[in-house]
Amino acid sequence: MKARALAYVILGVYTVISVYPFAWMVSGAFKDSKEVLRSGNLIPENPTFDTFARTWGELDFVRYFGNSLLVTGGTTLGVLVIYSLASYAFAVLKFPGRKAIYTGFIALLFVPGITVLLPVVILQGELGVLGTHIGIILPFVNGTAPLSILLLTNGFRSVPAELRESARCDGASEFRTFVSIYLPVCRPALVTIALLTAVPTWNEYVLTRVSLGDPATYTLPLGLQSLTATTSPQYNVIMAASLIIVIPVIVLFVLLQRYFINGLVGAVKG
Amino acid sequence: MEVSHKRRRKLREALTGYAFVLPALVLFAVLGVYTVGYGLALSFARWNGFSANWIWVGLGNYRDLLYRDETLSPIVRDAAVNTAVVMIAVPLLAVVAGLPVALALNRITALRTTLRTVYFLPYVTTGIAVFYAWTYVLQPEGSLNAILKGLGLGTLAQPQGFLGNPATALPTLIAVLAWSSIPVAILLYLTGLQSIDPAVLDAARVDGATGLRTISAVIWPLLRPITAAVVLLNLRDALQGFQMFLVMTNGGPGGHTNVLGLQAYNLAFFSELRPTLGLASALGWLLFVVALILAAVNVRVLKSRT
Repeated sequence: MKARALAYVILGVYTVISVYPFAWMVSGAFKDSKEVLRSGNLIPENPTFDTFARTWGELDFVRYFGNSLLVTGGTTLGVLVIYSLASYAFAVLKFPGRKAIYTGFIALLFVPGITVLLPVVILQGELGVLGTHIGIILPFVNGTAPLSILLLTNGFRSVPAELRESARCDGASEFRTFVSIYLPVCRPALVTIALLTAVPTWNEYVLTRVSLGDPATYTLPLGLQSLTATTSPQYNVIMAASLIIVIPVIVLFVLLQRYFINGLVGAVKG
Repeated sequence: MEVSHKRRRKLREALTGYAFVLPALVLFAVLGVYTVGYGLALSFARWNGFSANWIWVGLGNYRDLLYRDETLSPIVRDAAVNTAVVMIAVPLLAVVAGLPVALALNRITALRTTLRTVYFLPYVTTGIAVFYAWTYVLQPEGSLNAILKGLGLGTLAQPQGFLGNPATALPTLIAVLAWSSIPVAILLYLTGLQSIDPAVLDAARVDGATGLRTISAVIWPLLRPITAAVVLLNLRDALQGFQMFLVMTNGGPGGHTNVLGLQAYNLAFFSELRPTLGLASALGWLLFVVALILAAVNVRVLKSRT
Protein backbone atom coordinates (compact mmCIF):
# COMPACT_ATOMS: atom_id res chain seq x y z
CA MET A 1 0.00 0.00 0.00
CA LYS A 2 2.83 2.32 0.91
CA ALA A 3 4.50 1.43 -2.39
CA ARG A 4 1.36 2.34 -4.28
CA ALA A 5 1.14 5.72 -2.57
CA LEU A 6 4.78 6.36 -3.45
CA ALA A 7 4.02 5.43 -7.05
CA TYR A 8 1.25 8.04 -7.20
CA VAL A 9 3.52 10.69 -5.69
CA ILE A 10 6.24 10.00 -8.29
CA LEU A 11 3.69 10.07 -11.11
CA GLY A 12 2.10 13.27 -9.83
CA VAL A 13 5.43 15.06 -9.59
CA TYR A 14 6.49 13.89 -13.01
CA THR A 15 3.19 14.99 -14.55
CA VAL A 16 3.82 18.51 -13.28
CA ILE A 17 7.38 18.46 -14.67
CA SER A 18 6.16 17.19 -18.04
CA VAL A 19 3.48 19.81 -18.60
CA TYR A 20 5.19 22.75 -16.87
CA PRO A 21 6.55 24.59 -19.94
CA PHE A 22 3.41 23.80 -21.97
CA ALA A 23 1.22 25.31 -19.29
CA TRP A 24 3.24 28.53 -19.44
CA MET A 25 3.26 28.47 -23.21
CA VAL A 26 -0.54 28.52 -23.23
CA SER A 27 -0.63 31.05 -20.40
CA GLY A 28 1.80 33.42 -22.12
CA ALA A 29 0.01 33.19 -25.44
CA PHE A 30 -3.23 34.46 -23.88
CA LYS A 31 -1.72 37.31 -21.87
CA ASP A 32 -1.72 40.88 -23.13
CA SER A 33 1.59 42.58 -23.82
CA LYS A 34 1.64 44.35 -20.43
CA GLU A 35 0.84 41.38 -18.27
CA VAL A 36 3.36 39.13 -19.96
CA LEU A 37 6.19 41.36 -18.74
CA ARG A 38 5.46 40.57 -15.10
CA SER A 39 6.07 37.13 -13.70
CA GLY A 40 2.41 37.03 -12.73
CA ASN A 41 0.05 34.11 -12.54
CA LEU A 42 -0.40 31.05 -14.64
CA ILE A 43 -4.01 32.06 -15.31
CA PRO A 44 -4.02 35.34 -17.27
CA GLU A 45 -5.89 38.21 -15.61
CA ASN A 46 -7.44 39.40 -18.86
CA PRO A 47 -7.17 36.47 -21.22
CA THR A 48 -7.06 37.69 -24.79
CA PHE A 49 -7.19 35.92 -28.09
CA ASP A 50 -5.75 38.95 -29.90
CA THR A 51 -2.10 37.92 -29.71
CA PHE A 52 -2.94 34.61 -31.27
CA ALA A 53 -5.00 36.15 -34.04
CA ARG A 54 -2.38 38.83 -34.73
CA THR A 55 0.46 36.27 -34.88
CA TRP A 56 -1.50 34.11 -37.26
CA GLY A 57 -2.61 36.92 -39.57
CA GLU A 58 -0.49 40.06 -39.43
CA LEU A 59 2.77 38.33 -38.55
CA ASP A 60 2.41 35.98 -41.50
CA PHE A 61 2.26 32.76 -39.55
CA VAL A 62 -0.42 31.50 -41.87
CA ARG A 63 2.16 31.65 -44.66
CA TYR A 64 4.87 29.97 -42.54
CA PHE A 65 2.35 27.31 -41.63
CA GLY A 66 1.72 26.66 -45.32
CA ASN A 67 5.45 26.49 -46.03
CA SER A 68 5.94 24.07 -43.17
CA LEU A 69 3.10 21.90 -44.44
CA LEU A 70 4.67 21.88 -47.89
CA VAL A 71 8.17 20.98 -46.67
CA THR A 72 6.92 18.38 -44.19
CA GLY A 73 4.45 16.88 -46.65
CA GLY A 74 7.00 16.78 -49.46
CA THR A 75 9.63 15.18 -47.26
CA THR A 76 7.25 12.58 -45.87
CA LEU A 77 5.90 11.67 -49.29
CA GLY A 78 9.42 11.41 -50.71
CA VAL A 79 10.53 9.18 -47.87
CA LEU A 80 7.53 6.88 -48.20
CA VAL A 81 7.85 6.45 -51.96
CA ILE A 82 11.63 6.20 -52.27
CA TYR A 83 12.37 4.05 -49.25
CA SER A 84 9.41 1.69 -49.48
CA LEU A 85 10.57 0.82 -53.01
CA ALA A 86 14.17 0.38 -51.87
CA SER A 87 13.21 -1.60 -48.79
CA TYR A 88 11.02 -3.91 -50.83
CA ALA A 89 14.04 -4.67 -53.01
CA PHE A 90 16.25 -5.24 -49.96
CA ALA A 91 13.70 -7.47 -48.25
CA VAL A 92 12.29 -9.50 -51.11
CA LEU A 93 14.29 -9.33 -54.35
CA LYS A 94 17.62 -11.01 -54.98
CA PHE A 95 20.28 -9.08 -56.88
CA PRO A 96 24.07 -8.87 -56.74
CA GLY A 97 25.33 -6.19 -54.34
CA ARG A 98 22.13 -6.14 -52.33
CA LYS A 99 23.83 -6.62 -48.98
CA ALA A 100 26.60 -4.11 -49.72
CA ILE A 101 24.16 -1.37 -50.73
CA TYR A 102 21.97 -2.04 -47.70
CA THR A 103 24.99 -1.82 -45.38
CA GLY A 104 26.03 1.43 -47.05
CA PHE A 105 22.68 3.00 -46.22
CA ILE A 106 22.71 1.82 -42.62
CA ALA A 107 26.30 3.07 -42.18
CA LEU A 108 24.99 6.58 -42.87
CA LEU A 109 23.36 6.35 -39.45
CA PHE A 110 26.75 6.90 -37.86
CA VAL A 111 27.61 10.13 -39.68
CA PRO A 112 26.63 13.06 -37.43
CA GLY A 113 24.44 15.63 -39.16
CA ILE A 114 26.89 18.44 -38.46
CA THR A 115 29.65 16.59 -40.35
CA VAL A 116 27.83 16.86 -43.67
CA LEU A 117 25.83 20.03 -43.01
CA LEU A 118 28.30 22.42 -44.61
CA PRO A 119 28.86 20.30 -47.75
CA VAL A 120 25.07 19.99 -48.10
CA VAL A 121 24.67 23.77 -48.10
CA ILE A 122 27.54 24.19 -50.58
CA LEU A 123 25.93 21.51 -52.76
CA GLN A 124 22.57 23.32 -52.61
CA GLY A 125 24.39 26.36 -53.99
CA GLU A 126 26.01 24.38 -56.81
CA LEU A 127 22.72 22.77 -57.79
CA GLY A 128 20.97 26.14 -57.70
CA VAL A 129 18.45 25.09 -55.06
CA LEU A 130 19.84 27.09 -52.13
CA GLY A 131 16.97 28.99 -50.56
CA THR A 132 14.25 26.83 -52.11
CA HIS A 133 12.00 24.31 -50.45
CA ILE A 134 13.10 21.46 -52.68
CA GLY A 135 16.67 22.27 -51.62
CA ILE A 136 15.89 21.35 -48.03
CA ILE A 137 13.42 18.55 -48.79
CA LEU A 138 16.06 16.45 -50.58
CA PRO A 139 18.58 16.40 -47.71
CA PHE A 140 15.73 15.79 -45.22
CA VAL A 141 14.61 12.78 -47.25
CA ASN A 142 18.14 11.43 -47.47
CA GLY A 143 18.63 12.02 -43.76
CA THR A 144 15.90 9.57 -42.81
CA ALA A 145 17.23 6.87 -45.16
CA PRO A 146 18.90 4.66 -42.51
CA LEU A 147 15.96 4.57 -40.12
CA SER A 148 13.32 4.17 -42.85
CA ILE A 149 15.20 1.40 -44.62
CA LEU A 150 15.88 -0.39 -41.34
CA LEU A 151 12.25 -0.37 -40.22
CA LEU A 152 10.63 -0.98 -43.61
CA THR A 153 12.99 -3.78 -44.63
CA ASN A 154 12.17 -5.54 -41.36
CA GLY A 155 8.47 -4.96 -42.03
CA PHE A 156 8.54 -6.34 -45.59
CA ARG A 157 10.63 -9.34 -44.50
CA SER A 158 7.92 -10.38 -42.07
CA VAL A 159 5.35 -10.72 -44.90
CA PRO A 160 4.93 -14.44 -45.70
CA ALA A 161 6.70 -15.35 -48.96
CA GLU A 162 3.68 -17.42 -50.06
CA LEU A 163 1.73 -14.23 -50.68
CA ARG A 164 4.25 -13.13 -53.28
CA GLU A 165 4.39 -16.59 -54.85
CA SER A 166 0.64 -16.80 -55.24
CA ALA A 167 0.47 -13.28 -56.67
CA ARG A 168 3.09 -14.26 -59.19
CA CYS A 169 1.14 -17.39 -60.14
CA ASP A 170 -1.82 -15.10 -60.80
CA GLY A 171 0.39 -13.22 -63.24
CA ALA A 172 0.91 -10.07 -61.16
CA SER A 173 4.01 -8.03 -61.93
CA GLU A 174 6.59 -7.24 -59.27
CA PHE A 175 5.38 -3.65 -58.98
CA ARG A 176 1.78 -4.80 -58.75
CA THR A 177 2.67 -7.26 -55.97
CA PHE A 178 4.47 -4.48 -54.13
CA VAL A 179 1.60 -2.01 -54.40
CA SER A 180 -1.40 -4.23 -53.85
CA ILE A 181 -0.02 -6.78 -51.37
CA TYR A 182 3.06 -5.55 -49.53
CA LEU A 183 2.10 -1.92 -48.99
CA PRO A 184 -1.33 -2.67 -47.46
CA VAL A 185 0.06 -5.41 -45.22
CA CYS A 186 2.81 -3.09 -43.94
CA ARG A 187 0.60 -0.07 -43.42
CA PRO A 188 1.41 0.26 -39.70
CA ALA A 189 5.15 0.42 -40.47
CA LEU A 190 4.50 3.04 -43.15
CA VAL A 191 2.47 5.19 -40.74
CA THR A 192 5.28 4.89 -38.21
CA ILE A 193 7.87 6.04 -40.75
CA ALA A 194 5.61 8.89 -41.84
CA LEU A 195 5.35 10.09 -38.23
CA LEU A 196 9.03 9.67 -37.42
CA THR A 197 9.80 11.71 -40.55
CA ALA A 198 7.10 14.36 -40.29
CA VAL A 199 7.61 15.47 -36.68
CA PRO A 200 11.38 16.17 -36.79
CA THR A 201 10.95 17.83 -40.20
CA TRP A 202 8.19 20.08 -38.84
CA ASN A 203 10.57 21.19 -36.05
CA GLU A 204 13.79 21.34 -38.10
CA TYR A 205 15.75 24.51 -37.59
CA VAL A 206 19.48 23.88 -38.04
CA LEU A 207 19.67 23.29 -41.81
CA THR A 208 16.60 25.42 -42.56
CA ARG A 209 18.14 28.44 -40.89
CA VAL A 210 21.24 28.44 -43.09
CA SER A 211 19.38 27.44 -46.28
CA LEU A 212 16.33 29.68 -46.46
CA GLY A 213 17.04 33.39 -46.69
CA ASP A 214 13.86 34.91 -48.07
CA PRO A 215 11.19 35.43 -45.38
CA ALA A 216 8.55 34.40 -47.93
CA THR A 217 9.99 30.86 -47.84
CA TYR A 218 10.29 30.64 -44.03
CA THR A 219 8.95 27.62 -42.23
CA LEU A 220 7.36 27.95 -38.77
CA PRO A 221 10.62 27.52 -36.77
CA LEU A 222 12.26 30.30 -38.78
CA GLY A 223 9.21 32.50 -38.40
CA LEU A 224 9.36 31.95 -34.66
CA GLN A 225 13.08 32.69 -34.58
CA SER A 226 12.60 35.94 -36.49
CA LEU A 227 10.28 37.14 -33.70
CA THR A 228 13.10 36.92 -31.18
CA ALA A 229 15.59 38.84 -33.31
CA THR A 230 14.20 42.15 -32.08
CA THR A 231 15.76 43.90 -29.11
CA SER A 232 12.84 43.36 -26.75
CA PRO A 233 11.23 40.02 -27.46
CA GLN A 234 7.51 39.96 -26.70
CA TYR A 235 6.90 36.69 -25.01
CA ASN A 236 3.15 36.65 -25.56
CA VAL A 237 3.72 36.70 -29.32
CA ILE A 238 6.55 34.19 -29.07
CA MET A 239 4.41 31.82 -27.01
CA ALA A 240 1.47 32.18 -29.42
CA ALA A 241 3.79 31.28 -32.30
CA SER A 242 5.22 28.36 -30.31
CA LEU A 243 1.71 27.11 -29.69
CA ILE A 244 0.99 27.23 -33.42
CA ILE A 245 4.01 24.96 -33.98
CA VAL A 246 3.28 22.56 -31.13
CA ILE A 247 -0.48 22.00 -31.48
CA PRO A 248 -0.40 20.02 -34.77
CA VAL A 249 2.34 17.78 -33.36
CA ILE A 250 0.37 17.08 -30.20
CA VAL A 251 -2.82 16.34 -32.14
CA LEU A 252 -0.97 13.99 -34.47
CA PHE A 253 0.72 12.25 -31.57
CA VAL A 254 -2.42 11.79 -29.51
CA LEU A 255 -4.29 10.35 -32.50
CA LEU A 256 -1.53 8.04 -33.69
CA GLN A 257 0.59 7.35 -30.64
CA ARG A 258 0.40 3.58 -31.07
CA TYR A 259 2.45 3.90 -34.26
CA PHE A 260 4.89 6.29 -32.63
CA ILE A 261 5.58 4.00 -29.74
CA ASN A 262 5.90 0.82 -31.81
CA GLY A 263 8.28 2.64 -34.09
CA LEU A 264 10.52 3.91 -31.32
CA VAL A 265 10.70 0.54 -29.62
CA GLY A 266 11.36 -1.08 -33.00
CA ALA A 267 14.06 1.45 -33.91
CA VAL A 268 15.96 0.79 -30.70
CA LYS A 269 15.66 -2.98 -30.88
CA GLY A 270 16.47 -3.06 -34.60
CA MET B 1 14.81 -24.58 -72.00
CA GLU B 2 13.98 -24.86 -68.33
CA VAL B 3 17.42 -23.51 -67.33
CA SER B 4 17.28 -20.48 -69.61
CA HIS B 5 13.79 -19.68 -68.39
CA LYS B 6 15.02 -19.74 -64.82
CA ARG B 7 18.00 -17.61 -65.68
CA ARG B 8 15.85 -15.06 -67.42
CA ARG B 9 13.58 -14.89 -64.41
CA LYS B 10 16.59 -14.31 -62.16
CA LEU B 11 17.92 -11.57 -64.40
CA ARG B 12 14.56 -9.90 -64.45
CA GLU B 13 14.35 -10.01 -60.67
CA ALA B 14 17.82 -8.47 -60.37
CA LEU B 15 16.95 -5.68 -62.80
CA THR B 16 13.71 -4.98 -60.95
CA GLY B 17 15.75 -4.86 -57.74
CA TYR B 18 18.09 -2.23 -59.16
CA ALA B 19 15.20 -0.23 -60.53
CA PHE B 20 13.55 -0.23 -57.08
CA VAL B 21 16.67 0.99 -55.25
CA LEU B 22 17.68 3.47 -57.94
CA PRO B 23 15.90 6.59 -56.60
CA ALA B 24 17.28 5.98 -53.11
CA LEU B 25 20.72 5.31 -54.53
CA VAL B 26 20.83 8.49 -56.63
CA LEU B 27 19.90 10.58 -53.61
CA PHE B 28 22.44 8.72 -51.52
CA ALA B 29 25.19 9.20 -54.10
CA VAL B 30 24.60 12.95 -54.33
CA LEU B 31 23.73 13.82 -50.73
CA GLY B 32 25.56 11.02 -48.95
CA VAL B 33 28.70 9.98 -50.77
CA TYR B 34 29.42 13.29 -52.47
CA THR B 35 28.92 15.43 -49.39
CA VAL B 36 30.93 13.08 -47.21
CA GLY B 37 33.81 13.12 -49.73
CA TYR B 38 33.59 16.88 -50.17
CA GLY B 39 33.54 17.48 -46.43
CA LEU B 40 36.51 15.21 -45.87
CA ALA B 41 38.54 16.95 -48.57
CA LEU B 42 37.58 20.37 -47.21
CA SER B 43 38.83 19.38 -43.77
CA PHE B 44 42.36 19.36 -45.22
CA ALA B 45 42.03 22.81 -46.77
CA ARG B 46 41.66 26.46 -45.89
CA TRP B 47 38.73 28.29 -47.48
CA ASN B 48 36.35 31.13 -46.66
CA GLY B 49 33.55 30.00 -48.95
CA PHE B 50 34.01 32.81 -51.45
CA SER B 51 37.56 32.80 -52.80
CA ALA B 52 38.21 30.78 -55.93
CA ASN B 53 40.77 28.38 -54.55
CA TRP B 54 41.29 26.15 -51.59
CA ILE B 55 44.69 26.26 -49.89
CA TRP B 56 45.74 22.76 -48.95
CA VAL B 57 47.02 22.55 -45.40
CA GLY B 58 47.16 18.80 -44.79
CA LEU B 59 46.41 18.06 -41.17
CA GLY B 60 46.78 21.74 -40.29
CA ASN B 61 43.10 22.25 -39.42
CA TYR B 62 43.08 19.28 -37.07
CA ARG B 63 46.29 20.53 -35.42
CA ASP B 64 44.84 24.02 -35.04
CA LEU B 65 41.70 22.68 -33.41
CA LEU B 66 43.46 20.30 -31.07
CA TYR B 67 46.47 22.30 -29.87
CA ARG B 68 48.21 24.64 -32.33
CA ASP B 69 45.95 27.68 -32.65
CA GLU B 70 46.27 29.73 -29.49
CA THR B 71 42.82 31.32 -29.61
CA LEU B 72 40.83 28.48 -31.12
CA SER B 73 42.17 25.39 -29.36
CA PRO B 74 41.25 26.59 -25.83
CA ILE B 75 37.72 27.34 -27.09
CA VAL B 76 37.50 23.87 -28.60
CA ARG B 77 38.85 22.35 -25.41
CA ASP B 78 36.21 24.14 -23.31
CA ALA B 79 33.50 23.04 -25.73
CA ALA B 80 34.80 19.47 -25.51
CA VAL B 81 34.63 19.60 -21.72
CA ASN B 82 31.05 20.94 -21.87
CA THR B 83 30.11 18.24 -24.38
CA ALA B 84 31.62 15.58 -22.12
CA VAL B 85 29.69 16.92 -19.13
CA VAL B 86 26.46 16.78 -21.14
CA MET B 87 27.30 13.27 -22.33
CA ILE B 88 27.73 12.09 -18.75
CA ALA B 89 24.86 13.99 -17.13
CA VAL B 90 22.03 13.43 -19.61
CA PRO B 91 22.25 9.61 -19.84
CA LEU B 92 22.62 9.47 -16.07
CA LEU B 93 19.52 11.61 -15.54
CA ALA B 94 17.59 9.57 -18.11
CA VAL B 95 18.27 6.39 -16.15
CA VAL B 96 17.88 7.89 -12.67
CA ALA B 97 14.53 9.52 -13.52
CA GLY B 98 13.31 7.12 -16.20
CA LEU B 99 13.42 3.93 -14.18
CA PRO B 100 11.48 5.13 -11.09
CA VAL B 101 8.78 6.70 -13.25
CA ALA B 102 8.49 3.51 -15.30
CA LEU B 103 8.31 1.42 -12.11
CA ALA B 104 5.59 3.67 -10.75
CA LEU B 105 3.72 3.59 -14.04
CA ASN B 106 3.94 -0.18 -14.13
CA ARG B 107 2.43 -0.37 -10.66
CA ILE B 108 -0.84 1.40 -11.43
CA THR B 109 -3.55 0.33 -13.81
CA ALA B 110 -5.91 3.29 -13.94
CA LEU B 111 -4.57 6.27 -15.88
CA ARG B 112 -1.54 4.40 -17.16
CA THR B 113 -2.17 5.09 -20.86
CA THR B 114 -3.14 8.69 -20.22
CA LEU B 115 -0.02 9.36 -18.19
CA ARG B 116 2.15 7.66 -20.75
CA THR B 117 0.76 10.06 -23.34
CA VAL B 118 1.38 13.07 -21.12
CA TYR B 119 4.92 11.96 -20.32
CA PHE B 120 5.68 11.55 -23.96
CA LEU B 121 4.79 15.10 -24.96
CA PRO B 122 8.23 16.56 -24.14
CA TYR B 123 9.84 14.10 -26.51
CA VAL B 124 7.53 14.49 -29.52
CA THR B 125 7.36 18.26 -29.30
CA THR B 126 11.07 18.77 -28.77
CA GLY B 127 12.24 21.63 -30.93
CA ILE B 128 12.48 25.37 -31.13
CA ALA B 129 8.95 26.07 -29.82
CA VAL B 130 9.48 24.17 -26.59
CA PHE B 131 12.96 25.65 -26.18
CA TYR B 132 11.44 29.12 -26.25
CA ALA B 133 8.80 28.07 -23.73
CA TRP B 134 11.63 27.02 -21.42
CA THR B 135 13.50 30.26 -22.10
CA TYR B 136 10.32 32.09 -21.09
CA VAL B 137 9.96 30.30 -17.75
CA LEU B 138 13.70 30.53 -17.02
CA GLN B 139 14.11 34.25 -17.67
CA PRO B 140 14.64 36.68 -14.75
CA GLU B 141 10.91 37.51 -14.52
CA GLY B 142 10.00 33.96 -15.42
CA SER B 143 7.77 31.60 -13.54
CA LEU B 144 10.55 29.43 -12.10
CA ASN B 145 11.99 32.34 -10.13
CA ALA B 146 8.49 33.29 -9.00
CA ILE B 147 7.75 29.74 -7.89
CA LEU B 148 11.00 29.46 -5.96
CA LYS B 149 10.26 32.74 -4.16
CA GLY B 150 6.71 31.63 -3.48
CA LEU B 151 7.98 28.42 -1.89
CA GLY B 152 10.34 30.39 0.36
CA LEU B 153 13.31 29.16 -1.65
CA GLY B 154 14.19 32.67 -2.83
CA THR B 155 17.88 31.99 -2.33
CA LEU B 156 17.74 29.53 -5.21
CA ALA B 157 16.16 32.08 -7.54
CA GLN B 158 18.38 33.55 -10.25
CA PRO B 159 18.03 37.34 -10.65
CA GLN B 160 19.95 37.15 -13.96
CA GLY B 161 17.78 34.28 -15.13
CA PHE B 162 18.88 30.66 -15.13
CA LEU B 163 20.42 30.98 -18.56
CA GLY B 164 22.08 34.33 -17.84
CA ASN B 165 24.15 33.18 -14.89
CA PRO B 166 27.35 31.45 -16.09
CA ALA B 167 27.21 29.06 -13.13
CA THR B 168 23.66 27.81 -13.76
CA ALA B 169 23.43 28.00 -17.55
CA LEU B 170 24.94 24.62 -18.41
CA PRO B 171 23.19 22.67 -15.62
CA THR B 172 19.92 24.28 -16.71
CA LEU B 173 20.40 23.25 -20.34
CA ILE B 174 21.28 19.73 -19.19
CA ALA B 175 18.04 19.61 -17.21
CA VAL B 176 15.99 20.71 -20.23
CA LEU B 177 17.79 18.21 -22.46
CA ALA B 178 17.08 15.47 -19.92
CA TRP B 179 13.45 16.60 -19.74
CA SER B 180 13.05 15.90 -23.46
CA SER B 181 14.95 12.61 -23.45
CA ILE B 182 13.57 10.98 -20.29
CA PRO B 183 10.31 10.01 -22.09
CA VAL B 184 12.10 7.50 -24.30
CA ALA B 185 13.84 6.04 -21.24
CA ILE B 186 10.46 5.70 -19.49
CA LEU B 187 8.94 4.03 -22.54
CA LEU B 188 11.79 1.55 -22.97
CA TYR B 189 11.91 0.70 -19.27
CA LEU B 190 8.14 0.24 -19.24
CA THR B 191 8.29 -2.19 -22.19
CA GLY B 192 11.10 -3.99 -20.39
CA LEU B 193 9.17 -4.22 -17.14
CA GLN B 194 6.12 -5.57 -18.91
CA SER B 195 8.18 -8.35 -20.46
CA ILE B 196 9.49 -9.58 -17.11
CA ASP B 197 7.87 -12.89 -16.20
CA PRO B 198 5.59 -12.26 -13.15
CA ALA B 199 6.64 -15.68 -11.79
CA VAL B 200 10.15 -14.32 -11.26
CA LEU B 201 8.80 -11.45 -9.16
CA ASP B 202 6.50 -13.82 -7.23
CA ALA B 203 9.47 -16.06 -6.47
CA ALA B 204 11.38 -13.08 -5.10
CA ARG B 205 8.39 -12.17 -2.91
CA VAL B 206 8.08 -15.73 -1.59
CA ASP B 207 11.77 -15.56 -0.68
CA GLY B 208 10.88 -12.56 1.45
CA ALA B 209 12.46 -9.88 -0.69
CA THR B 210 11.16 -6.37 -0.02
CA GLY B 211 10.24 -3.97 -2.79
CA LEU B 212 13.58 -2.19 -2.90
CA ARG B 213 15.47 -5.45 -2.68
CA THR B 214 13.44 -6.91 -5.57
CA ILE B 215 14.30 -3.88 -7.64
CA SER B 216 18.03 -3.99 -6.97
CA ALA B 217 18.50 -7.77 -7.07
CA VAL B 218 15.98 -8.88 -9.68
CA ILE B 219 14.60 -6.07 -11.82
CA TRP B 220 17.74 -3.97 -12.30
CA PRO B 221 19.87 -6.90 -13.61
CA LEU B 222 17.05 -8.03 -15.92
CA LEU B 223 16.73 -4.52 -17.34
CA ARG B 224 20.46 -4.10 -17.95
CA PRO B 225 20.16 -4.34 -21.77
CA ILE B 226 17.56 -1.57 -21.67
CA THR B 227 19.78 0.58 -19.49
CA ALA B 228 22.57 0.04 -22.02
CA ALA B 229 20.26 1.10 -24.86
CA VAL B 230 19.08 4.20 -22.96
CA VAL B 231 22.65 5.24 -22.15
CA LEU B 232 23.95 4.72 -25.68
CA LEU B 233 21.00 6.48 -27.28
CA ASN B 234 21.50 9.51 -25.07
CA LEU B 235 25.26 9.50 -25.52
CA ARG B 236 24.75 9.76 -29.25
CA ASP B 237 22.17 12.51 -28.97
CA ALA B 238 24.31 14.45 -26.50
CA LEU B 239 27.30 14.22 -28.80
CA GLN B 240 25.50 15.22 -31.99
CA GLY B 241 22.64 17.44 -30.91
CA PHE B 242 23.15 21.14 -30.44
CA GLN B 243 19.87 22.65 -31.60
CA MET B 244 18.79 23.39 -28.04
CA PHE B 245 22.08 25.10 -27.28
CA LEU B 246 21.81 27.13 -30.47
CA VAL B 247 18.29 28.32 -29.68
CA MET B 248 18.48 28.87 -25.92
CA THR B 249 21.96 30.31 -25.34
CA ASN B 250 24.01 30.10 -28.57
CA GLY B 251 26.92 29.04 -26.36
CA GLY B 252 26.62 31.95 -23.93
CA PRO B 253 27.08 33.45 -21.47
CA GLY B 254 30.75 33.78 -22.30
CA GLY B 255 31.11 30.36 -23.94
CA HIS B 256 29.91 28.57 -20.81
CA THR B 257 27.41 26.49 -22.77
CA ASN B 258 29.37 26.06 -25.99
CA VAL B 259 29.42 22.47 -27.25
CA LEU B 260 31.39 20.90 -30.11
CA GLY B 261 28.47 20.65 -32.55
CA LEU B 262 27.58 24.30 -31.99
CA GLN B 263 31.20 25.33 -32.38
CA ALA B 264 31.37 23.54 -35.75
CA TYR B 265 28.07 25.15 -36.81
CA ASN B 266 29.29 28.63 -35.97
CA LEU B 267 32.66 28.06 -37.67
CA ALA B 268 30.82 26.87 -40.77
CA PHE B 269 28.13 29.50 -41.09
CA PHE B 270 28.75 32.48 -38.86
CA SER B 271 32.38 33.41 -39.32
CA GLU B 272 31.86 36.10 -41.94
CA LEU B 273 34.77 36.04 -44.38
CA ARG B 274 37.34 34.32 -42.23
CA PRO B 275 38.66 31.09 -43.80
CA THR B 276 37.13 28.77 -41.20
CA LEU B 277 35.22 26.33 -43.41
CA GLY B 278 38.07 23.79 -43.36
CA LEU B 279 38.22 24.08 -39.59
CA ALA B 280 34.46 23.51 -39.36
CA SER B 281 34.76 20.41 -41.51
CA ALA B 282 37.69 19.08 -39.50
CA LEU B 283 35.73 19.55 -36.28
CA GLY B 284 32.80 17.69 -37.85
CA TRP B 285 35.10 14.79 -38.64
CA LEU B 286 36.53 14.76 -35.14
CA LEU B 287 32.92 14.38 -33.93
CA PHE B 288 32.44 11.60 -36.47
CA VAL B 289 35.43 9.71 -35.02
CA VAL B 290 33.94 9.95 -31.52
CA ALA B 291 30.56 8.81 -32.87
CA LEU B 292 32.24 5.84 -34.52
CA ILE B 293 33.97 4.84 -31.29
CA LEU B 294 30.60 5.05 -29.52
CA ALA B 295 29.02 2.91 -32.23
CA ALA B 296 31.77 0.29 -31.81
CA VAL B 297 31.15 0.22 -28.06
CA ASN B 298 27.44 -0.04 -28.86
CA VAL B 299 27.96 -3.14 -31.00
CA ARG B 300 30.15 -4.74 -28.34
CA VAL B 301 27.63 -4.08 -25.55
CA LEU B 302 24.73 -5.40 -27.63
CA LYS B 303 26.70 -8.54 -28.47
CA SER B 304 27.67 -9.21 -24.87
CA ARG B 305 24.09 -9.12 -23.68
CA THR B 306 23.08 -12.23 -25.55
